[in-house]
Amino acid sequence: MKRLRQLQIILSFGFALVLLAGQAAHATAAKEAPWLPEAAAYRLTLFLGNLAPVPWEALQDAWENPYRGSQFPKGALARLEDGSAVDTSALEQAIATEDRAAVYAAATRLIAARINEELDRALAAETSAGAQAAVAEAQELYRAFGDHLKAADPGAAREIGRAWLELTSATGSAGVLGAGTQDADRDAMTAARAVISDYLTANYLPDSFVPRAKLTAIPETVHLSGADVALRPTLPPGSDIFDQDPLPRLVLKFEEQGIDEKDLPLIAYGDMLFDSAQIFGSPASDLGIACSTCHNRSDINNRLFIPGASHQPGAIDVDGAFFNPIFNDRRDDAIDTPSLRGLRFTGPYGRDGRFGSLHDFTRNVIVNEFGGAEPTPFMLDALVAYMQEFDFLPNSMLTAQGELTDKAPEAAFRGEEIFNRPFAQMDGKSCASCHIPSANFLDRKAHDIGSAAPAYDGARTGAFDTPTLLSIAYNAPYFHDGSLPTLASVVDWFDSTKGLGLTDAERADLTAYLETVGAGDDPFEAFDERNTPFRLAFDELTTFASTLDTLLPARDSHHILILTDTVAADLAADASTMSNLAERPGIYRMAELLDQVGEAVRAEDWQAANTHWADFKATATEIDERVY
Amino acid sequence: MKIRRRDFLSLVAACALASTPALAQDQSLKLAFIPQENPDKLLGDIEVITAWLSGEIGVPVEGFVTFDHAAAVEALRNGDADISFMGGLPFVLAEKEIGAVPLLSEVYRGAPTYTGRVFVRKDSGIETLADLKDRDIAFADPISESGYMFPLAEFEKAGLITGPDAAEDFFGRVFFAGGYQQAMQAMAAGLVDAAGASQYADLLLTPEQQAEITWIAESPAIPSHVVIARPGLDAGLSERFTAAMLKLNQPKHQAKLAYLYGPDGYVRADSAAYDGVRAMAHSFGLAN
Repeated sequence: MKRLRQLQIILSFGFALVLLAGQAAHATAAKEAPWLPEAAAYRLTLFLGNLAPVPWEALQDAWENPYRGSQFPKGALARLEDGSAVDTSALEQAIATEDRAAVYAAATRLIAARINEELDRALAAETSAGAQAAVAEAQELYRAFGDHLKAADPGAAREIGRAWLELTSATGSAGVLGAGTQDADRDAMTAARAVISDYLTANYLPDSFVPRAKLTAIPETVHLSGADVALRPTLPPGSDIFDQDPLPRLVLKFEEQGIDEKDLPLIAYGDMLFDSAQIFGSPASDLGIACSTCHNRSDINNRLFIPGASHQPGAIDVDGAFFNPIFNDRRDDAIDTPSLRGLRFTGPYGRDGRFGSLHDFTRNVIVNEFGGAEPTPFMLDALVAYMQEFDFLPNSMLTAQGELTDKAPEAAFRGEEIFNRPFAQMDGKSCASCHIPSANFLDRKAHDIGSAAPAYDGARTGAFDTPTLLSIAYNAPYFHDGSLPTLASVVDWFDSTKGLGLTDAERADLTAYLETVGAGDDPFEAFDERNTPFRLAFDELTTFASTLDTLLPARDSHHILILTDTVAADLAADASTMSNLAERPGIYRMAELLDQVGEAVRAEDWQAANTHWADFKATATEIDERVY
Repeated sequence: MKIRRRDFLSLVAACALASTPALAQDQSLKLAFIPQENPDKLLGDIEVITAWLSGEIGVPVEGFVTFDHAAAVEALRNGDADISFMGGLPFVLAEKEIGAVPLLSEVYRGAPTYTGRVFVRKDSGIETLADLKDRDIAFADPISESGYMFPLAEFEKAGLITGPDAAEDFFGRVFFAGGYQQAMQAMAAGLVDAAGASQYADLLLTPEQQAEITWIAESPAIPSHVVIARPGLDAGLSERFTAAMLKLNQPKHQAKLAYLYGPDGYVRADSAAYDGVRAMAHSFGLAN
C-alpha cells in the first residue's frame, strides 16, 4: 500500500510568501519556516550539546556555517560580524575549550543580546519600515527561546506574545506609495519593549547560569525553581524528514495480484504500523518518525538528515545518543539506509547480516533502536506480513532468472560478460559469485571486501551482507556507509581496490549492466490532478482503518487504540495537503469520528464505538469523489 | 525576514544574444522586483529568470530589487524600470499616479483571485462577526488587502461598523501583527480572538493548529498580484514579454515559476478585475 508522509506547506501569495510549522506528533512532517542563522545555531547548540559524546566539530560548524538548507548564505558568526555589535568571543572560546556549560551560557546570552540589539534598532529607526524590519528580526531571534519559554512559563509567554503584537502595531505604517502612512507610537513601543527585555534580563542574561543536565531554553528563573517542565522534542534546523521527491513506487505482491488490502486485515494492520510513530518511543514518536520515514514506500529516503545523527543525507546512526540513550554505542557510525524492496528474499537482515529473522530484526528496531515498548506478537506478525509483500520493481530488461532480455542495451550485454568473468585478483571469483543472478543477485552471506576500516587493530568487523542488485538504480548512494555516490563509482572502487585492470570501456559496460539489472519500470509514483499526494494518503489511511472491521468484533482494545491514535492524527494532519481545500472539514470530521471510536473503546462502550465506526465509513463514502 | 538594504541591487543577465534574429540592438527590458523575505535568494532567482527571458524575448533583460513598491513605481515613472511585479493595491495606486498598465495576473490554485477571511479558534464559541464585539483581532498589515482591508469591509457589510475608522470602537483591540503568519499565530495561540488574513493563511499554521481553527466570514474575490508595465513601453516588446511569461504555464517551463514568487502560473491581466481594489483604496482613503 502507499504511504505519503510529506506535508510541505509552501504557500505563497505574492510577496507575503511563507510558511511555518512545528514538528508534528504524527507521522506527517510539516515544513518549518526558515530560521535566522543565529537562532538556528542556538537550536543546533541545544540539540548537539545534548548528545553524548558532544559532537564538537558539528557544534562549531553550527555557528560558522549556514545550517543545512539555510536560505542565508552566511553562518551565524559571519552574519554577526557584519551586522551586530554583540561580542562573540565568549562563545568562540567556550567552543574551542569544549566547555559545554560555558557554551550554553554564552550562546544563550548572545541570543538575548541580539534580541535587545534589534529592539534598540527598532526604537531608533527613523521610519516605520526600518522599525518593522528590526522588530521582525528580533521576533525571529526570540523564536530560539519561544517554545521552551511557552512550555515552562505560559503566563509570561502570553504576556510577551501580546507585547510583540503591541510593538509591531506601534511601529506605524509606511503606507503604500505614500498613502496611508501612520506614525510610530514611541511610548507604546517603549512599553512593549520593556516587557520583553525585562524578561530577557531576568532569564536569559543572568550573571551566571545554574548548570543544566539537559540544555534547553527554559527560562533561568523556572529552571531555578526546579519545576518539572515537559518539553516536546523537536529536531534542530537543518533536519529533513520529508519524503523523497519524486516518490518511490511501491510494489506490493498482493496488489499486483489484484487482491484488495482491505481483505487482508493482518497486512493492512502491518501497513498501518509501518507508518505509525506510536510504536516507537520518544523522541521518535513525538517527532512523527515511523518505519516509513526512512524507508519511503519500501525503498529508502535519500533526503533524510538529522544533524548529529546523519553524516550525509539518507544515512542515520540508529544506535547513537538521540533516539534511545540506553542503546547509545557512543560510536559515530551512521549507516546508509538500505532499501526493503524484495525483503523476503534478502535475509539475513542488518547491513552486517546479524539477524537471520525478520521478526527479530523488526523487534530490535522498535525496542532498541527507537526505544518503543515491547510489541505484541500480533504487531510483529502484522509488520512482518506487510513487509514480506514488498516486491522489487518490475524490470522488463531482466527475466526472473536474472538474464537480460532483448530490451536491455548492448552495453549491458557486454557488461554481463565482465560481471560473470572470474578474476584471479578476487580468488577466481566473479561479481556473480556473490551477486548470483538466479538468486535475486545475492548469496545471503556476509563478506569482508575491504569496504570498512577495522574498528581496532585486528578487528574482524568489516564483513557486510551481500546486497541485492535489483532495483538499485534509484537508491544511491552505495555501500554500508553510502560512501560511493554512483554505480560507476562502485565499479571504479572494485577495479582499483582489487586491481582488476578494466579498461574505460569495460568499466562503462559493467556500469551499464548494473544500471540495467538495477532498473525498474515506472520507478516513481505518478501524480496528476486527481491522483494527488493527499488522495494517496487518504486511500491508505482509510485502508488502515478498515482493520476495525476485524478488531472491533474481537474487542481488541490495545490494537484498536494504536490504530485510532495513528490514523486520526494523520488524517487531520494530511488534510492541509489537499488540493481541494474546500473538503477539509469532511476530513476533519472523519478524524474526529475515529477519535471518538478510540474514546468509546477506552470507555469500553462498544456500541458507541461501532456507531462511530459506521459513521466514519458513511462519511468516507459520501465525500469520496471530492477527496483529492 | 524583511529586507534591510536600501540600495538598489542590480543584476544584468549575461546572455549570448548575437544570433537571435529578433534582437533589436537598441532595446532592452528592465524588470523591478519587490523584495520578499530573503533578498539574497531573490537575487539568485532574478539571475535565472532574466537569463531565460532574454533568450525568449530576444533583448537583454535586466532585473533589480527595489526597496519597496514606491521605489518600483518611481523606477517605472522615470524609466529605470519597464516592468514591475506588484501587489494589487499598489498597482491601482500606480495606475492612478503614473498610468501603469497591467499585463499579467498570478494564478494560485487555479484562479487569479483569492479572498480574505476572518479566522477564529473552533473552541472560542465565536460564530459570527457580531460575536467579535469588544474582542481582540489581529490583522496582517494596515495596507494588506486580504489581511486587513477586505476582511474589515465584511464587518462594514454586516452593519457592525460604519467604516474603517470605526473599527476601534467595535473591537476590543486591533493589532497589526506584521504579516499573515504572525496574525494567524496570535489567533491560534489565543493571544487574540480573531485574525483577518488570506484565505490560505491557515496553511501557515501547524497541521494541528489548522484542525483547531475555522473561519466565519469571507470577502469577495480579490485579484492576485500583478505584473505591470510603465506607460509608453513599446507594444511589441510588451507583447513579447507577456507571451514569454505565459510560456511558464507549460509543464516544461513550470519549474521556473519558483524563481518568480512561486505562483502556479500567469494569465493576461483583466483590468476590470481590479475594480474592487480600486473601490477599497477609495474607502480606506488611499486613493483620494
